[in-house]
Amino acid sequence: MKDLYLIFRNLTRKPLRLFLTLFATFIAFMIFGTLTAFQEAFDSGVDLAADDRLVVVNKINFTQPLPISYVARVSALEDVDAVTHLNWFGGYYQEPKNQMAMFAVDAENFLKVYDELIITDEERTAWLANRQGLIAGKAIAERFGWKKGQRIPVNSNIFSQRDGRTDWDFDVVAIYTGAETQTDTNSVYFHYPYFNETQSFGGNFIGFMGVRTTTPDLNESVIKQIDEMFVNSPAETETVPEKAFNKAFIEQIGNLGLILTSVVLAAFFVILVIVGNSMVLSIRERTGEIGVMKTLGFTSMRIFRMVLAESMLLALIGGSLGIVAAIGMVGLANQAPFQLPPLIVGGSLWGKALAYMLLLGLITGIVPAVSALRMNIITALSRN
Amino acid sequence: MSGFFSQIWTVIVMNILSLPRRLWMSLATVFAVAVVVAVLLSFLAMANGFEKTLAGTGSDSVAIVTRVGSQSELNSTLSRDDVNLLATSPGIASNDGGDPNYSAELYVIVDGIKRASQTEANIPMRGIAQQGFALRDNIQIVAGRMFETGRNEIVVGQGVQREFDGFELGRKIRFGKTNWEVVGIFSTGGSAFESELWADAATVQTQFQRGSTFQTMRLRLSEPGNVEPMRQFIEQNPRLAVEVQTEANYFAAQGEALNSIAVFGWILSIIMGLGALAGALNTMYTSVSSRSTEIATLRAIGFSNSSAFFGTLAESVVLSMVGGLLGALAAFLFMDGFSASTLGASFTQVVFTFELSPQLFRNGIALALGIGLVGGVFPAWRAARVPVIAAFRSGV
Amino acid sequence: MTQDILFDLKGVSKKFVKGKETITVFENLDMSIARGDFLAIMGPSGSGKTTLLNLLGGVDQPTSGQITFDGGRVDTLSENQLAAWRANNIGFIFQFYNLMPMLNASRNVELPLLLTRLGSKQRKKNVATALELVGLSDRAKHSPREMSGGQQQRVAIARALVSDPKLLLCDEPTGDLDRETADEILGMLQLLNEKHGKTIIMVTHDPAAAKYARRTLHLDKGKFVEKELAA
Repeated sequence: MKDLYLIFRNLTRKPLRLFLTLFATFIAFMIFGTLTAFQEAFDSGVDLAADDRLVVVNKINFTQPLPISYVARVSALEDVDAVTHLNWFGGYYQEPKNQMAMFAVDAENFLKVYDELIITDEERTAWLANRQGLIAGKAIAERFGWKKGQRIPVNSNIFSQRDGRTDWDFDVVAIYTGAETQTDTNSVYFHYPYFNETQSFGGNFIGFMGVRTTTPDLNESVIKQIDEMFVNSPAETETVPEKAFNKAFIEQIGNLGLILTSVVLAAFFVILVIVGNSMVLSIRERTGEIGVMKTLGFTSMRIFRMVLAESMLLALIGGSLGIVAAIGMVGLANQAPFQLPPLIVGGSLWGKALAYMLLLGLITGIVPAVSALRMNIITALSRN
Repeated sequence: MSGFFSQIWTVIVMNILSLPRRLWMSLATVFAVAVVVAVLLSFLAMANGFEKTLAGTGSDSVAIVTRVGSQSELNSTLSRDDVNLLATSPGIASNDGGDPNYSAELYVIVDGIKRASQTEANIPMRGIAQQGFALRDNIQIVAGRMFETGRNEIVVGQGVQREFDGFELGRKIRFGKTNWEVVGIFSTGGSAFESELWADAATVQTQFQRGSTFQTMRLRLSEPGNVEPMRQFIEQNPRLAVEVQTEANYFAAQGEALNSIAVFGWILSIIMGLGALAGALNTMYTSVSSRSTEIATLRAIGFSNSSAFFGTLAESVVLSMVGGLLGALAAFLFMDGFSASTLGASFTQVVFTFELSPQLFRNGIALALGIGLVGGVFPAWRAARVPVIAAFRSGV
Repeated sequence: MTQDILFDLKGVSKKFVKGKETITVFENLDMSIARGDFLAIMGPSGSGKTTLLNLLGGVDQPTSGQITFDGGRVDTLSENQLAAWRANNIGFIFQFYNLMPMLNASRNVELPLLLTRLGSKQRKKNVATALELVGLSDRAKHSPREMSGGQQQRVAIARALVSDPKLLLCDEPTGDLDRETADEILGMLQLLNEKHGKTIIMVTHDPAAAKYARRTLHLDKGKFVEKELAA
């Protein structure tokens, strides 16, 4: 504790230098915090995917439709707990650029399969009873200012009604929240019958199916059963675990993970070099003083620890400020007009950041600390 | 005294020559600036390459017709009747046979394996008839031949060939339940069309169960850039729920996503640049304080304090510019020409290459210069104010 | 007159290897210092007086020979043991004061106490006592920058005294001070020796300073020439 005072005074001897090195550390950790939050948000789509859920799409590509008759056949399988079907609606609100993730679903089964979307029992009953009802996620509702009970028109950029209109009217029956903080609440769901009976293409087709197995161990077997069922039919299927499906989707954007990691690494390298140099220089300037301390009787080990503590303290303070700033940046990004998965700076991010701060403190401090440890009293004093 | 400038030059040279004494700190600055410039140029090259691909794709003399509000070819839909009606519109150029020069096309998605990540990604397959080729500028079959009408044959764009596995000439591929054969490879001078697979329109309609519908219609305009006649025709025929624009405009709108890449790149680089700036300031302040006796001695001899100012400023700028050049070189060596593909507007992959240009290079150097100037001006000011008496102090 | 020997050097040699040459600073040196003595060591540069001081201060070890302090062997101690030994027994006073620039006077004086187990309150008391002894109580919160050379040296003396060491080692303590201030400092050292019984060894090149000591040893090329002064 007594040493802490000395460490503090040593850190603050040159306020400008302290400010500059703190600032560089701050910048690096702000970048780290913000980009890692992005990365975690993208990964959460994969992580939060349920283990016991599968996605069944047309084998050619998920944009090709499947016949609705498939639903009953999949549902009949023994190891299948529940099946729902979804159609991409291509919905936009007021302007074509306000596109949303909007699906026509069979409501009752949908809520069974995707039980992380939370609405009250009352709202559930209301939705099932209202053919034109839709449920919207908290995030998307906030973005467009929708309130429960509102009646809104939504356009489709793919489909038209039989009478040529491209807009459908809906009642906002419920605003759902997610079971976890990172569950996506940017989607909108409405009734398949309302869609199918009014769209102009005709034909009973669905986009894809969401399947819940009785237990994850049976996933492999159910996948085989479903795909074999439709082999050699006009629309062959490809069934994948939901995790794999989400992952593949993100990877289409490109190796985001690689880009984000590279940028963060670059930022860290830069401050490593800057702060490391600063520490070495600082200790070199204090050679005489270290000699005196050793003469007074401070052991080399104690001085070694003090120097290391100094670099650690620097990293911890600068880094923590940077993460706090990242929280601010992330807050800004969450307000952005375009759709992003919800960004949060949570416990795991802080944990990672702290580990990096300690590592940074260690790396930038070890060389000057060892040099202080090894400093020979006589040489140190004679530098005067 | 041959004056002001020779003094400054002398001091600048002295400062630069004394750099080895502050080797590691100076290298730290060079490295920091190099990284910042490299990051900036990488992002700008990405945005630039993406933009060039899309820009090269749209032609001003070709119009594209899509369903109202569809936003991408994938979402659009046109019936046979719509196509026939539109073909009678004024404003369309005629081909040699005197018929309107148009092409009705389909746009579906199939799966392919990306070479780099070995994961599945969406590739667009365009159902196109012979007339369609004439509506693409720069089209060339570089290997094999064009597909024959009515057969399950496809020609593959060069971009697809580069980025995806399994599309070599002669390969048989299975999409869904049908087998297709790769009979040719085409290039369009690097535009987005090279990210596509082309097959006979009628065959695609059958195999993908599209009946007799199409998705888009392209026509050669009788007057390049002028879609007015068609627009009026569409208005007069309310049955047609379609939009028309030049292909160039259409692709330009698609490219809006890449604005965000460029913006993101700049924001990131400026933030990192602030970090590098802190490093530069640190280095320069240290430089000034370690040379304070030297500076004071020069002043005692008679050098002006402007010489101290510019000497320090020059040192900072030199370090940053060296860093900037190194960063630009690194970006050029590692990133220029790097081929990548990413999700385009229609959920399909657009293949593009990172492309550095002299303009971007200038941007990078400007950033380095900025860091050098700001990182140098404050320490330079301090150097100018070192009191002459510092020369007479014994020991620091 | 049996003297109570505090420091005893027997057959001490110190040799350096520089490249291919071996430089001998001392060979077979004997020396003893009684408790309560005030010894001045003088000699030209190159005579080895700095090396001798380093040996006495436990900052350097002899190549051969024995050094005994207060009955215990010093030349066999490890580096960490030497650090503890210095903390417990020696107070140092340097030519250039060597105060920590970022600490004020009382914090500077407190430094040696951080090596003990004393609590904060006790430490503060001891610091106050030491500062009073050197007459600088009113400057306790001033930083070295705000003090003259003489005042800084007095703070250094306070620091050397605060742990109540058995021996004070001074390396040219007045080398950087004007005549008047030097006399002040030397007078203080004399007081500490005569009134408080502190044993003091002072290395100096200034004959006027050596007059304040009880006896002077002259070192020349590693050998002593003794010269007693009238007390």
